[in-house]
Amino acid sequence: MAEEGQVIACHTVDSWKEQLESANTSKKLVVVDFTASWCGPCRFIAPILTELAKKLPNVLFLKVDVDELKSVAEDWAIEAMPTFIFLKEGSIIDKVVGARKDELQQKIALHSAA
Amino acid sequence: MAVSGFEGFEKRLELQFFGDDPLENMGLRLIDFESLEQVLHAVNCTVVSAVGNHFFDAYVLSESSLFVYPNKIVIKTCGTTQLLKSVRPLIHFADKLNLTLCECRYTRGSFIFPKSQPFPHTNFKEEVIYIEENLPNNLVYRKAAVMPSKNPSCSWHVFTAADQNHHRRRSLNSDVTFEVCMTELDRHLARRFFKKTGDCKTGDLAGKEMTELTGIDDINPNAFICDFAFDPCGYSMNGIDDDRYSTIHVTPEDGYSYASFECVGSVYDDNIDIVETLKKAVQVFKPATVSISTTSNRREVWTKVARAMEPLGLKCRTFAMDEFPAAGSVVFQTFTAATHQK
Repeated sequence: MAEEGQVIACHTVDSWKEQLESANTSKKLVVVDFTASWCGPCRFIAPILTELAKKLPNVLFLKVDVDELKSVAEDWAIEAMPTFIFLKEGSIIDKVVGARKDELQQKIALHSAA
Repeated sequence: MAVSGFEGFEKRLELQFFGDDPLENMGLRLIDFESLEQVLHAVNCTVVSAVGNHFFDAYVLSESSLFVYPNKIVIKTCGTTQLLKSVRPLIHFADKLNLTLCECRYTRGSFIFPKSQPFPHTNFKEEVIYIEENLPNNLVYRKAAVMPSKNPSCSWHVFTAADQNHHRRRSLNSDVTFEVCMTELDRHLARRFFKKTGDCKTGDLAGKEMTELTGIDDINPNAFICDFAFDPCGYSMNGIDDDRYSTIHVTPEDGYSYASFECVGSVYDDNIDIVETLKKAVQVFKPATVSISTTSNRREVWTKVARAMEPLGLKCRTFAMDEFPAAGSVVFQTFTAATHQK
């Protein structure tokens, strides 16, 4: 797949659902970055997330803009940004709120090994 | 008292802007990260953690905090940072977004190690000269003052500047800002801000542990907290609650221990809230000396401050009040334990 090792941006609700379904079947760990274009801390962590995606092609990294996909952000009760939600087989298994480099790396290591 | 050590006392800068750009609803939040890094580089600090909500962005820095609202920036740094060097680049980046400076506030307590401070922070006079050189001409109202306490090495320094429209804005501003400085922290409580030996937990994870262990998360249960623990000791946190921030910074070393708590409330807040919040914050550290500066448009807020400290066994020793352009009333109170000899 051309998109492995990259953070995939979901611009529509359909592409979002599609990505989740394919991850569900492949049993991959999914890390969703809920972000906003006007949020400075999201810009701060962006390059770090890109690096992580490159290093971990077995993890699916998705990016959702809270303005573009308002309904999704509301469904997932996103209040602070960035919020990273960890999914496996369709269920939320963990969450990191804020541009917290160490916590993000530790949780990815924890959940991708499981 | 140690001969020299880390300077906990911060310098605080607040800049307010206005503009008629249609994008101004996000204003300063649109400054790109590389530009912010440039500003912080001039000051000599970096971002270690950050979080934002619909109202503002909050950054934990290697030496304190930065808050970016659409029309306001608050930056607070400790150690030997050159905070005032951020003024010129911030005005420059705001200008690129068609935002004009309309208010400036600079405050700080007295340094524990004043001789270790670099230019322009060698003394207050130098600082005021430096700020004035970097302020645009439209800030026509300016005032600098040193508010005293009984202790000559414990004063509150204030400089504010505002443009001719500040009267109009003042009537709309119901904010109250509390800047609390605590020294001679309870040794046992201060030890909680040292990383455990052999603990390989890193910055934000160790910080979260300290937040929970010390009850800092209890000060405002509504706030989302972004925390960080430094190596081998030290702690910082920013709390975000709608459009209000709170921030705590701890230098726990014996001999020059220091902790600061700052938060913004409203003159319309329930009395109980302010009193309870201040009480809880100070109780985390059980300091022997506390100084609190209260800035608002309503003078009586300071009575709540005294009410908050009393049940903690902290007696108000000095009181000073003054008026400043844009900021309004600034009240400076110092407290020491009822049994304290100083």
